[in-house]
Amino acid sequence: MKALLICPSKGPAVPHLVELGPLATVPILGDCVAGHWIEHLAALGARQIQVVAADGEDKVREAVGDGARWGVRISVIAANVEPTREEAAKRYRPAGEPGWLPAPNDVVFMSHLPGCPQLPLFESYACWFSALVAWMPLALTPARVRVKEARPGIWIGSRARVASAAELIAPCWVGDQVTVEAGAVVGPGAILEDRAVVSPKALVTRSWVGPDTFVGPLTSVSNSLAWGSTLIDWRTDSSLHVPDSFLLGSLAKPQSSSTTDRFGRAFSRRVMPESQSALITALRSRMGRAPNLKLPG
Amino acid sequence: MKIENQGQCLSISEIHELTAQNSTLFRDEVQAALGTSPTLIEINLSKTRFMDSSGLGALFALYRATSQRNGVVLRLLNPMPEIQQLLELTQMQQLFEIVRR
Repeated sequence: MKALLICPSKGPAVPHLVELGPLATVPILGDCVAGHWIEHLAALGARQIQVVAADGEDKVREAVGDGARWGVRISVIAANVEPTREEAAKRYRPAGEPGWLPAPNDVVFMSHLPGCPQLPLFESYACWFSALVAWMPLALTPARVRVKEARPGIWIGSRARVASAAELIAPCWVGDQVTVEAGAVVGPGAILEDRAVVSPKALVTRSWVGPDTFVGPLTSVSNSLAWGSTLIDWRTDSSLHVPDSFLLGSLAKPQSSSTTDRFGRAFSRRVMPESQSALITALRSRMGRAPNLKLPG
Repeated sequence: MKIENQGQCLSISEIHELTAQNSTLFRDEVQAALGTSPTLIEINLSKTRFMDSSGLGALFALYRATSQRNGVVLRLLNPMPEIQQLLELTQMQQLFEIVRR
């Protein structure tokens, strides 16, 4: 069976996501948007999938490969402009040709996640976050063996390391190779993408933390999308480049997966100069006394 | 940076950025102005576009200095959304009264 996927290329309401690359390749719950769709279509019986990309087709090709990991054959087609679903169907899906998945899965515009057409992904950061949280229970498919539901509403990657003194509150997603240190609180409504590091006594709630992102000790990421040093409040669309990487930063560097945790700790030590460390120490000591401050854990 | 003493109110404004470059100056000048024993300190952040951990440290130092004086109120006025985000990230919004007007 055949299917056609159309990559969204425009996202005026989510400029920071657009800056990161084609929207179809943005990571969500351990895979990219296109990856989730290919897995979904493969489960429906698709064996040949064409992906139409009007923007960054090389990156799309890099993200989806040849489809072998889903047991399908994928070809990426470069388009000059983003076609609508109807335009793409007219151009790439000959009317009456047999061997296509039944509608609406024959031609799919990836503006939402599989099974959630009512939750658009790219209309705003708030929409993006709502869609991810709603889709969390659907993300654990039989093909995904590296994540399991440890407790109701709590999904944890098999190679994640969660300290016994950390607190996970459902719903939350802790991706593969994530580190959650002692005293940290993750959830409710928290998504930690692969290889994120949440430091001691940090708080992540109603937020999405991108892959390879370091959340510093005692910091609070709430109602936000955090990826590298970029922090976006999904309620207001306000964005901030956090200047101090010991608070929030990127861990993305060429590295072997087995060294991620050690690298994260070394990174946090390396980037924390004395004066900044003093601020953290001051906050910690103050928080220990101030009755109006609620420390996690 | 502008520091005005209006009776019992110490008003600090025109702070375009609060970083490692000027946080020591900020601390010193505000510390000197505290000698008049104000009961209200208002730091107007409406023009502050950039702050780093040194700037946060300067605010924290002021918080610590004023918290040792009974009855002194410390307010942050109209922080820009980015600064508000930074205060929330570091949980420092819990230390200050943040007022929008």
